[in-house]
Amino acid sequence: MVRRLVVDPSKCVGCRYCELWCSYKHEGVFSPSFSRIIVVKDDRIGLDYPIVCRMCDPAPCIEACPNDALTRGEDGIIRVVDAKCNGCGSCVEACPYGAIRLSPRLRRPLICDLCGGDEPICVKKCPTNALRLYPLAEEDLSENEKAFDKAYRYALEEHKRLMRRWGLHVR
Amino acid sequence: MSDRIYGYAGRVLRINLSTEKVKEEPLSKELIYGYLGGRGFNVRRLYHEVPKGIEPLGSRNKLMFATGPLVGIGLPLGARLNVTAKSPLTGILGDSNVGGHFAAEMKYAGFDQIIIEGASRRPVYIYIHDGDVEIVEAEGIWGLSISKAYDIIRQELGDWRIQIAIIGPAAENLVLFSGIFFNVYRPAARTGLGAVMASKMIKAIVVRGDGYVEVARPRDFERFVEELEEAIYAHEQYWPRRSMGTSRILLAANRLGFLPAKHFTEPVVDYAFKVSGERLAIEYNVKNRACFSCILPCSRFYVIKNGELAGTYGEGPEYEALAGMTVRIGNDDLDYALKAIELANDLGMDIISLSEVIAWAMELYERGLLSRKETDGLDLSWGNMEAVLRLIEMIAYREGFGDLLADGVAKAAKRLGKGLDLAFHVKGLEMIQADPRGLKGYGLGFAVASRGADHLRSEPFIELSDNPDVGRRLFGEPEATLRLGVRGKGRLVAYYENWCALVDSLEVCKNIAENMEILPPSKMVEALRIVVGINMSVDDIMKVGERIVNVERAYIVRKGIRRSDDMLPRRFLREPMPKGPSAGHTIELERMLDEYYRARGWDPETGIPTVEKLEELGLDYVIDDLMSHGIRLKKASGSRQSSPP
Repeated sequence: MVRRLVVDPSKCVGCRYCELWCSYKHEGVFSPSFSRIIVVKDDRIGLDYPIVCRMCDPAPCIEACPNDALTRGEDGIIRVVDAKCNGCGSCVEACPYGAIRLSPRLRRPLICDLCGGDEPICVKKCPTNALRLYPLAEEDLSENEKAFDKAYRYALEEHKRLMRRWGLHVR
Repeated sequence: MSDRIYGYAGRVLRINLSTEKVKEEPLSKELIYGYLGGRGFNVRRLYHEVPKGIEPLGSRNKLMFATGPLVGIGLPLGARLNVTAKSPLTGILGDSNVGGHFAAEMKYAGFDQIIIEGASRRPVYIYIHDGDVEIVEAEGIWGLSISKAYDIIRQELGDWRIQIAIIGPAAENLVLFSGIFFNVYRPAARTGLGAVMASKMIKAIVVRGDGYVEVARPRDFERFVEELEEAIYAHEQYWPRRSMGTSRILLAANRLGFLPAKHFTEPVVDYAFKVSGERLAIEYNVKNRACFSCILPCSRFYVIKNGELAGTYGEGPEYEALAGMTVRIGNDDLDYALKAIELANDLGMDIISLSEVIAWAMELYERGLLSRKETDGLDLSWGNMEAVLRLIEMIAYREGFGDLLADGVAKAAKRLGKGLDLAFHVKGLEMIQADPRGLKGYGLGFAVASRGADHLRSEPFIELSDNPDVGRRLFGEPEATLRLGVRGKGRLVAYYENWCALVDSLEVCKNIAENMEILPPSKMVEALRIVVGINMSVDDIMKVGERIVNVERAYIVRKGIRRSDDMLPRRFLREPMPKGPSAGHTIELERMLDEYYRARGWDPETGIPTVEKLEELGLDYVIDDLMSHGIRLKKASGSRQSSPP
């Protein structure tokens, strides 16, 4: 089972604490430009939206790489094989979410590795609970769906979308 | 890099717009040890580089932006920036502090401090990215509001991550209390620095960088941050601040009886809830927003959902703007207050000063001292928001009666020849939204603050505890921490001024660092050891704060400021508070001043620092300079410490 980061943008306040600690954990320095999570902001309209690797399958970035420098593990994490990467940026172009950038220092793609998998630093540091790791367990709500009326079913459908933003795996 | 200074970008950028020359200078160790950053860096340089007699709106004034060593790293409270110049509003120290995301980006662009000299002949904006500087023609955006200019510059540069300092039409028209706005909603508003930027023909300053900041002791830093996170999250003020920011102060001020309602004639009002932060939280706020790297997101995005102003949205307001556009001008309509704040922001003005010039005119009008003819037909009855909205535009564009108010309340009263006693300012800077008769330490702070009437130079919040034990323990005087007490306030204010100078120089958030006491001097020392790698004692660092306050004092003393200028308007000294929990009180300023100068080691007759004090702080250059200006410095016998025992 693949786990990935789930974002609840309604909770994001745009502090970019995630960016800073991501760059520190991976690169040892504090800088949003070295972060694997990107908080898109537009202050005038109150936009704060964290963008992060969605671990697509099939992954356009892997397919676009001319040097086979990107590989996917069993955990679903997309990793860069440094020896093969020449910093061409094809993966950056290919990512449909704009979630990949090249590191300013080494010109290597910065792709979220879930900090190895168990406790991504961004999830740990987020002050508003806007980031979650999608869990392995799945919750089945279909019995509820059968038991109640149309109003409940509609409300539940909408609520499931919200629950998925909370990082829950619901069916 | 081996010569890298931990915690700092390590470089200073100097841009001369007259010659279009750009120069980079290394950040000197002497400056770091002596002044730490931000406000300290700026005031030290202002003292040297902007001598007496410089015209604030002339090309020889300098506009400086500086941040500090705790910004741009993952510390959960460091995001601030100081903007400094000689003030066109007051003629003395111009200085304002702002949060947001600009300061960190400036460091990633490579600079701890940016100094703008000279003046351009045509409108420009300055684009600073990764050490490069471009001066870009800005004819097309001159005249635009803050929000429009923000959108256009971002689209033109095609980069949403840029951080922008922008001026609006008010600054372009040289309104003397116009501010500099950082990405739309966050102003460095006080003391008229927008007009200084406009006088140099700069519409905006853009920063962007891919650089980074390192800390000296990473492992210790991780632990230190975790401790701070827990202290912040567990703090009793965390959730009230997160849900309301400073807007929560309005109801509290009403409870304690120090609101500035109807131009400081009503310390309590019966409609406080209607215009409160609590009501904003329930009916208007849609999300929270944060400064860079802050885990207490106290800023709020609001939408007006009902009524004729439905669809108006924006960020804020904080207490000062909220109380300024409601109680101070006698307005109980929250929707119209938000509209007025949005308008004043978008045109680019300091709402504290704005609220004073409007409230002053309203009091004169209500008393029959100002006629409708003199106001160009505006009915300035308390709370007439239609007139207020019109007047805000007239001030920004200097039309008719608005032109008079655009110079600030002190000059307006002089020009009008009326209402001089009712012009509520200190040293030319308009008073904030708190009545000093109900908050006496704050009142002393307003009187002595180096930039004029303002709470942020000292912020002696601890007197709100009304706990005599605290005062006895910290200042040897129980009254020091009683809101309506008098004795001990001199020591209290001197100590908090020194601490606030450190907060503004490390460029951390004053709400979290000082009001919530998350970063007392002992923690600042620890932060400096871990982040920068320098070892200072608590005494050492308090000396830095004291040094900054003394350089600022010397700067304004050089401009002629003396004890007689450390004054409050007559109403607060003579007219007893009319009602509420502070009823009957005036402010006993002279007694508090005597104690303050003693605590400072300044001559109590003149308010000038003594030779001993300046020597003790290593300010020999200040001694020489003041003497060269013919200022006599006294020798004190036994100058006392200002720090608590």
